[in-house]
Amino acid sequence: MTKFYLLLGRYLTVLFVVAASTAMAQDRTVSGTVTASEDGTGLPGVNVIEKGTSNGSMTNVDGGFTVTVKEGAILVFSFVGYNTSEVTVGSQATINVALEPNVTALNEVVVIGYGEVNKRDATGAIATVKSEDFVKGIIASPELLIQGKTAGVQITSSSGEPGSAVNIRIRGTSSVRSGNNPLFVVDGVPLSGDFISAGGNDYGRGGSTPKNPLNFLNPNDIESMDVLKDAASTAIYGARGANGVVMITTKSGRNRKNELEFNTGISISEQARTYDVMNAKDYLAAYASLGGDPTLVNYGADTNWQDAVNRTAVSQMYNLAYANAYKTGNYRASLSLDDQNGIIKNSGLKRYTGRLNFNQNFLKDRLKLNLTSLFSHVDDQAAPITNTSGFEGDLMGATVFYNPTIPETPTNIAPARFGQPITQYNSDASNPLALLKYYSDNTMTDRQLITGSLGFDITKELNFKVSGGIDHSHALRESAFSGLMSKISNVAGFGRASIVEQTNRNQIFEALLSYNKKIGDNQLSILGGYSYQKLETFGLNVLGVNFGDQTNMEWMINETSAANQAVKEYLTPGWYQYEYQEDNMMRVYDLFSTPPSVTELPVASNPGLPLIGPRYINGRNFSGEDEIQSFFARGNYNIGERFFFTVSLRADGSTRFGQNNKYGFFPAGAAKWRLSEEDFIPEFFDELGLRASYGITGNQEFGHHLYSGRQQYAAPGVNNDGTLSGVAGLNNVTFANPDLQWEQTSSYNFGVDYGFFNNRLYGSLDFYSKNTTKLLIQQFSAQPAPTPFVWRNLDANLMNTGVEFSLNGVVVDNADWKVNIGGNFAYNKNRLKNYTGGALRTGAINGQGLTGAYAQRIANNQPLYAYYLREFVGFDENGLNADDDIPRFVGKSALPDFNAGLSLSAKYKAVDFAVYFNGQFGHYVYNNIANAYLTKGAIAGARNVTSEVVESNESPVNSPDASTRFLEKGDFVRLQNISLGYTLNLDPGNFFRSVRVFATGANLWLITDYSGLDPEVNVDKNIDGVPSLGIDYTAYPRAKSVTFGLSAKF
Amino acid sequence: MKSKILTSLVLGSALVFAGCTDLEVVETDSIVTAPEGDFQGVDAKGNLTSAYNALALQNTQENLYALSEATTDELFIPTRGTDWGDNGVWRDLAKHTWNSSHQFNLNTWNFLNSTVYGTNQLLHPATTKTPLQEAEAKFIRAYFMFWILDLWRQVPIRQADEGPEVNPTILSAQEAVDFIISDLEAALPVLPATKSGEIENQDVASKASARMLLAKLYLNKHIYLGATVNNADMDKVIGYVTEIEADGYKLQNGFFQIFSPSADSETILYSNGKYDSRIWGSLHYNQGRETDNKNGGWNGFVTPAEFYAKFEGPTDENLEGGPQEERRGYVPGEKLGIGFLIGTQGGPGGPVKARSGQNLVFTKNVTSLTGQPDYSGIRLLKYHPTINMPGSNANHLMIFRYADALLMKAEALLRKGSTAEALTLVNSLRTIRQATPLGSLSEDDVLDERGRELYIEGWRRNDMVRFGKFAAQFVFVEDASPDRNVFPIPDVALGSNPNLKQNAGY
Repeated sequence: MTKFYLLLGRYLTVLFVVAASTAMAQDRTVSGTVTASEDGTGLPGVNVIEKGTSNGSMTNVDGGFTVTVKEGAILVFSFVGYNTSEVTVGSQATINVALEPNVTALNEVVVIGYGEVNKRDATGAIATVKSEDFVKGIIASPELLIQGKTAGVQITSSSGEPGSAVNIRIRGTSSVRSGNNPLFVVDGVPLSGDFISAGGNDYGRGGSTPKNPLNFLNPNDIESMDVLKDAASTAIYGARGANGVVMITTKSGRNRKNELEFNTGISISEQARTYDVMNAKDYLAAYASLGGDPTLVNYGADTNWQDAVNRTAVSQMYNLAYANAYKTGNYRASLSLDDQNGIIKNSGLKRYTGRLNFNQNFLKDRLKLNLTSLFSHVDDQAAPITNTSGFEGDLMGATVFYNPTIPETPTNIAPARFGQPITQYNSDASNPLALLKYYSDNTMTDRQLITGSLGFDITKELNFKVSGGIDHSHALRESAFSGLMSKISNVAGFGRASIVEQTNRNQIFEALLSYNKKIGDNQLSILGGYSYQKLETFGLNVLGVNFGDQTNMEWMINETSAANQAVKEYLTPGWYQYEYQEDNMMRVYDLFSTPPSVTELPVASNPGLPLIGPRYINGRNFSGEDEIQSFFARGNYNIGERFFFTVSLRADGSTRFGQNNKYGFFPAGAAKWRLSEEDFIPEFFDELGLRASYGITGNQEFGHHLYSGRQQYAAPGVNNDGTLSGVAGLNNVTFANPDLQWEQTSSYNFGVDYGFFNNRLYGSLDFYSKNTTKLLIQQFSAQPAPTPFVWRNLDANLMNTGVEFSLNGVVVDNADWKVNIGGNFAYNKNRLKNYTGGALRTGAINGQGLTGAYAQRIANNQPLYAYYLREFVGFDENGLNADDDIPRFVGKSALPDFNAGLSLSAKYKAVDFAVYFNGQFGHYVYNNIANAYLTKGAIAGARNVTSEVVESNESPVNSPDASTRFLEKGDFVRLQNISLGYTLNLDPGNFFRSVRVFATGANLWLITDYSGLDPEVNVDKNIDGVPSLGIDYTAYPRAKSVTFGLSAKF
Repeated sequence: MKSKILTSLVLGSALVFAGCTDLEVVETDSIVTAPEGDFQGVDAKGNLTSAYNALALQNTQENLYALSEATTDELFIPTRGTDWGDNGVWRDLAKHTWNSSHQFNLNTWNFLNSTVYGTNQLLHPATTKTPLQEAEAKFIRAYFMFWILDLWRQVPIRQADEGPEVNPTILSAQEAVDFIISDLEAALPVLPATKSGEIENQDVASKASARMLLAKLYLNKHIYLGATVNNADMDKVIGYVTEIEADGYKLQNGFFQIFSPSADSETILYSNGKYDSRIWGSLHYNQGRETDNKNGGWNGFVTPAEFYAKFEGPTDENLEGGPQEERRGYVPGEKLGIGFLIGTQGGPGGPVKARSGQNLVFTKNVTSLTGQPDYSGIRLLKYHPTINMPGSNANHLMIFRYADALLMKAEALLRKGSTAEALTLVNSLRTIRQATPLGSLSEDDVLDERGRELYIEGWRRNDMVRFGKFAAQFVFVEDASPDRNVFPIPDVALGSNPNLKQNAGY
């Protein structure tokens, strides 16, 4: 198509020139050079026309032109792929023009593994989201910037907590047990898939998920995110490509001349929805109606506990960046501060980042140097919100069921019960405000990502590039529960403090040789490379117990830390594990002595032992290292811009694999035929391309060193009362399997790219089929065995088939108005086939009387996360469950069938407006909150519920077994974003280059029938490491927010 | 210029080759016992510690304890409104309607077998060990294998050097009995002859504990083999118990003292582990808060009225100083009782309150497994958190004790026909427990006596099976089929090993 325009352009130009030569002689001769703004090279073939006439010329091979025009004429410079530029000639004799590239969706550059490619020429299924299309508002996790923006990419944050972990599924879930998140590649460095900080310590109220490891990236530093979806694009990442790859490209100084940019925003958020639990009056009446004596549970107040712990949170963010491009290079430096306050008290995230990107060319651009360095510091504060609390509930659970008659600030009411402070009375629940007051949990994470590369053009066609990177993170999570906190068995009266320190170090070295050669109308590109990556994790766990009624939790943590330091100095360096009780003994475990030993040192007779504050402390460190070594090659061949072929191969050797399978080979091939170049395709199509690809990719996201038999000392145990428990023995931690290897996904993709009406309507349609085999499953070991499970590659098939469709339209495009509409839609079907192992349980259901309950099973011929429940049929005449008490598959799954996104943006002169919806359909959510807390039995036990519960005919002694009673449709449509902006009309030469003010609303509207707070939720309820999906339980609630912002360029 | 290009090329290539790795990792926080699956032995001491720790782990409420007790006539867990529903697992145990996917059945299968595997690692020739360590490992292997045989009648065997590609072979009941006997007979001469009262040595295997287990095995052997009682086996039982007595083991005066951490004349083997389920499993939420456990009990386990009726004493109360026999314990007015708790429950601040706010009164009869209020059912408390156990988590769980040995001897005598001798033994126990001596002795009397003496010590299911009373319609049992005498092989275990065959009736 481009070629057609070029020919047409040339033809017309010739006509003009002929016309001009026959016209009268003109007044003035102007000459000059037209260059491309991005690299300053001359542009040949640019039309140079006198405005309003047919007079004009065309640039020569170096971009030079000469044209004779009338006095006062305006010259119009136009060229395909660049924005048209108009220059008033005036008295100038020389006019040099730099044309800005016109970036439209079809000719934009997409980032692929080890290179980039014009979108039009890409043979694989790749979705690109540029920074201007990112989701707006206050966002901590970079993944959320593209939530719903691309077809076939499902992005779900585990909760509404700032910076919480995010699940991304590209084209369905292709692994049963193993990691399912895609590989993230930041500026060419593949990140480790591991969490870099610890989850919340389980003090008896359930553990919590670690924060999102990608929080170290400042969203404002990201230029684009490219999602590689099919095997043809991801096979170059071999054993890590099966879940798709997300390429994150950060901003550089390219095309930014002496530009200072400042952005700031202020956000106001509050809890989007709350549970409609009863007020004090209704609560007392309901309790009385079930035979309870309301005077016994009435403390006189009327408290809304949800309002007592949530807040209107104000968050701020500041970004400052300076960028400059010059002839031989460019750089960009940026600083940012994000201060996000959570809508739940005592929670939030503070992020500081600094980043430098420096590109310098030497030897007339033959040698290119790139250096980037990124530093970030993130402070996370967490409230006691957990995934798996039992009947006692965590903070979110307690706000639902806690007695509303208890005052927020009690004064002289009722005597202290059971020796606990009076704020905490009530027989079996924790006071939400006490949970906030007596808990402290802070994580400090520092991360540096430093990369460098040096590329050299050996000849015009041959380039050699070496690159290296270090990604280093250090996270320190310190948490403590005061002994004044009642109702938590191992905390009340003792207090506990925990310190978890974790360091991850990821080093990579790569060498690339690439060859590009134009052969006539054809283009050949070959790439070969070597990559070596080392991933290390090490850190320590320390627990301190017995602080009595101490309420200064910082002091508790400091004492624990100091004690650990003192004991560590006493021990020999290296691996250590110890338990210390000051009035008793120190027990030191030595795993690496021969033989391994446990020494008990009575403290009284060992005066050398350090004196420590807390009465009990234990510590243990951990470390592990993995290596990946890879060889890869890729060839591209382009025949006359019509046919494109790609072949790639990667060999990955990994320390995750057993000796019998150390190396895996991952081939892929793809072809594209641009039909729009063919004569038989009507002109109606500006772009029409057919793509087909096939490839094999792998997944190696499972545990470290599982192919050998290994042992560790069991983690130190402490009795609930803070006394030493028995000596830990050596436990088996693995069941050796030297055959272990990667999980393998072979996938097909067929796609169509299209563009009509001058490419004002464009999009793509893709069909795919993924077949994952050699499934990494922790199967039940055939007993007797060292561990209950053994990691194996199972000959089952996990099939994902689907369709993705996207369509974007430029509806109006004139001087005043610009209206764009874009939509994407994806369907995915997931089935497990040929699986012969036993059914695996997942989706733990927690709460009162729900120990051991679960909602999902992984079984043959079922989708993953298929619900396996009792079929609820109502209550019998006694108000008891009328079902047959037998769980079975209910034909519903937590996996959505459809994902869709719809965006509309409009611009009128200086005002811009954008609105963006997304939705998921066809999936079911298990409402574990309702199961655990919103039952008749709960109110009969003096726990608050919603008024609907009271009105139901359930018996107060009915057992709310896990059943379809609590399974709900999860369909929703969310108004994710709505924003309004105004760009000031500034004269050139103004101090500001541009100023834009904007307001963005996020999550302002949600359409769903789901009765819980939000159907888009995914609390980690794994069982034995089998991940779950779609279980809603005491998740940090989602906020709605409005952001006001300003961005200015100087 | 050229030289620079060459330099960079050479440098780059050198880096490529320098970077090449053999992909070997060095372990820095674990020890490799089987590099790439090639078993090279383990540390005997550390593994033996783990094996002994397993003796305590069997006590958690969702494991062997649930299968051995919550299926019997002395213990059940009703669903109380929203509490203890637990996906129906407890109801299935009480109703005898469990199937091959019952979670506790799988927990127990995995736990017992993996402990056996740990001892196999220790006993493998590649492991350096002392003769005593070997004998102790053999005792522990025999103990856990005994339970596997008892519960499922099939005992899988895997050597320490066999990887996941090997399907364990299955010992038949006869082979398993022989295997266990040979382990114990090999261990017996090496194990120490720990005497009665030597509490500091009673948390590890001794000659007496090996003899106790041998006696258990011979007593139950005919059940495992589907045969009739064999007098030679009974003589073995009598012989082993007599040898235990020779080490000084005898009945202890003061029943509840046996369950305290202090020395007594009965304890043969105890475990130094926690046993919260025995203390807190039965107590109401608001009971026991005066201890350092501020959270009180779990309000789960209760005793059927029929079992409570087997004790001497008034049927509807159990007051302190009342006429009931010693083993039934008592309920004092102002503090936590011991033994069986029925009626109004007192605490330091007056009567303990139920959830409704009314006084907590434990009722005797529980008519249904579901829909129960928080106060229904008689509670049982053998390990007391204040009277004989300072601290809420003291470590002293009874595994073997002499009264059990004495009752086994009496049973063996009775089964041989020496009824008078058996009656004398039973009455010697009843006398010291302040119960009226019996005038005659039937098999049912022995089973009842074992119940009164050994409640919640983990033997009830084993005893009821042996006396033919497990597969019967008692309390809430719905399925009285004799197939229920053995548990099903867990479905996932069947899937993991084709050599296993599902037991009849499942």
